[in-house]
Amino acid sequence: MNTLPYFDPALMIALPLLAAFLIPLLKRASERIPKFVPLLILGFNLYESIALLPHSLQKPIVVIIAAWQPPLGINLTIGPLGNILALIISLVGFVVAVYNIKFVLEEPGEKYYMLFLLMITGATGMVLTGDLFNLFVFLEITSISAYALTAFIRDRNGAEAAFKYLLIGSISSTMILLGIALIYASTGTLNMADIAQKIGQVDSRITLAALILMIVGFGVESEIFPLNGWAPDAYSQAPTPVGAVFGGIVVKAGVYGLARVIYTIFSFQGVFHFILIMGIITLLMAEMSALRQKQIKRMLAFSSIGQMGLVLIALGLATQNAVAGGLFQMFNHALIKPLLFLSAGYLVYYSGSKDIGDLDGMGKIKPVTSFFFAFGAFALMGLPPLNGFWSKLIIISETVKSGYIVLAALALTGSIIEAVYYLRVVGRLYFKSPEEHVKTKYVHASAVVAMSILAGLALFAGLFPDVILHYLQPAARELMDKTQYIQAVIAIK
Amino acid sequence: MRKVFAMLFLAIIGFYLFNTFALIPFGKNKMNADVAASYLNSGVQKTGAVNIVTSIVVNYRGFDTLGEVTVLFLAATGMGALLFRKKPMQRSRQNASVIVKTGARILFPLIIILGVYVFVHGHLTPGGGFQGGAIIASGFLLMFMSYRTYKVNHKVLSLFETFAGTSFVLLGLFGLIWGTSFLANILPFGEANTLFSAGIIPLIYIAVGIKVGSELTAVLDTMLKTVK
Repeated sequence: MNTLPYFDPALMIALPLLAAFLIPLLKRASERIPKFVPLLILGFNLYESIALLPHSLQKPIVVIIAAWQPPLGINLTIGPLGNILALIISLVGFVVAVYNIKFVLEEPGEKYYMLFLLMITGATGMVLTGDLFNLFVFLEITSISAYALTAFIRDRNGAEAAFKYLLIGSISSTMILLGIALIYASTGTLNMADIAQKIGQVDSRITLAALILMIVGFGVESEIFPLNGWAPDAYSQAPTPVGAVFGGIVVKAGVYGLARVIYTIFSFQGVFHFILIMGIITLLMAEMSALRQKQIKRMLAFSSIGQMGLVLIALGLATQNAVAGGLFQMFNHALIKPLLFLSAGYLVYYSGSKDIGDLDGMGKIKPVTSFFFAFGAFALMGLPPLNGFWSKLIIISETVKSGYIVLAALALTGSIIEAVYYLRVVGRLYFKSPEEHVKTKYVHASAVVAMSILAGLALFAGLFPDVILHYLQPAARELMDKTQYIQAVIAIK
Repeated sequence: MRKVFAMLFLAIIGFYLFNTFALIPFGKNKMNADVAASYLNSGVQKTGAVNIVTSIVVNYRGFDTLGEVTVLFLAATGMGALLFRKKPMQRSRQNASVIVKTGARILFPLIIILGVYVFVHGHLTPGGGFQGGAIIASGFLLMFMSYRTYKVNHKVLSLFETFAGTSFVLLGLFGLIWGTSFLANILPFGEANTLFSAGIIPLIYIAVGIKVGSELTAVLDTMLKTVK
């Protein structure tokens, strides 16, 4: 296979930062420029992560920064996992940037694009970096832009949601920082590969405390059950594209942090059972809460938490197939949840109300948007030819193979509940008679393009799951067997 | 009842964490560990900066500093977005007394000079870009508190901010073009302990100082303006 030429991967972080710093200046040249900046930069990131993929699949790429060898300086370690996640993040970011072109914004518009671009850059940095403290810095970049974007509409509810998110998020960052302090104090290094090598010699009481602090910290971003109170409010109060990015990107970066911590840095066997149990609780609690929601975006938010529960189950099983299934689930969710959010955003805009009850008959008046919503709902539920089916099938069959029949039954129950509330909405869209006061505006072309890309990719992943799994298996292997990851970094020394 | 429960819970967590942290010999000499030791032993020769803290912050871990600068930038941008008003607001404070006003007028240039001194000499003396920037912002705060009508031009501030932020990233990119990697040093080290030493470290710290100073000034100005 011919490989595409690629640039230094540090540019995937440097260029977005440069662009974000330049946006205020570009805005003075023309008001229209800022909205195209994220499109251009994320397009570059998308290209770069595709071009890097063949190389990182062979062995992790170690990118030196500031000319210092790994344990002394910071480096990026781009294995298959980080590369695939960076690809997903850039892809979803790019698609949402397309949607943003015609998205109606309040003043100050250019600040929105700066925050939006930096949120995605933070998530990209998180999945690419090979340094634990650097991971924390990028987590901060992601979450601080997320707080500001949650409140961007500047109404009371948005401020409340953002403040809640800010409080929980700050506590989680503090916990991660304390965990890093413990690790640094006892290993003397911040490089993740180096830590993974030395963690065995550390007093197990310290490692356990550090592990707990980190799981709680990353648990907030990855929406584990008792730590996800911020999510429904933040998802539903933020502007639509931001909600889509939360579900598609921010959560994925959080789950990556969690997976990296439990698989690569620490080697505690007991933690996988804990993650498994938390996964099933998260799944069931979220699906039952979603069933009771009256607002469509809140329902989508709870459904997003439920999907993360499924991913946690896969991570907790800790077999290679299960982890690959979990990554597949993350991939699917990253495509479908933005699709659902973007189409639901239009449905809400048409009906002028956030309630599910006001969406009656939209399928007849607004066939395009409703089709995308229904498509997303079917894909997420796991209707056979679509992608959600394959990832759920892998996770549940791996649960059975590992001998957890009860857990598999519970996970299936969760999926059935999910089907119930999605079908309820889809049913309302198509089988109820519409109300009169619906706005008669067409969907903007940019939104249709954005939603078609997502739906097309979801369909492709459903028809050819083997192609996707071919790339996800090495990523799962990277998590299961950390020696290659460590070796790649040590070899640079 | 709930409060008692929460306090008990916090106490247990606190006790557990305290005991864990007590296991680590903080304050003891652990400098023979490899990373810290090489910072201390070869930092001056390899970075040219006699202030080891600066060489770690700006050179060894310069990528983190770029991230931290972005975090501050985000905080300022986010606040600017959330407190945005179509009509400009005013500060509610009355004018201060003549003594404060006169004192502020005399001190203001001195504070700015001190701030500039701190970030220009970041590689030689304690302090650096963040500290120098904060000192500059405090000088502006003194003026805001003394004169009700003292104005700063936000367009000029954002111009400074953009200039400083882009020069940090551009310095990094120059490292990629003319050196071996992003943020790599491309300038001669010079003679240690002199102003023109330590390669790109002082340049980065000047950029950071300007950026932090203009950002914090803009933040203070926005937050003090509370009435129409």
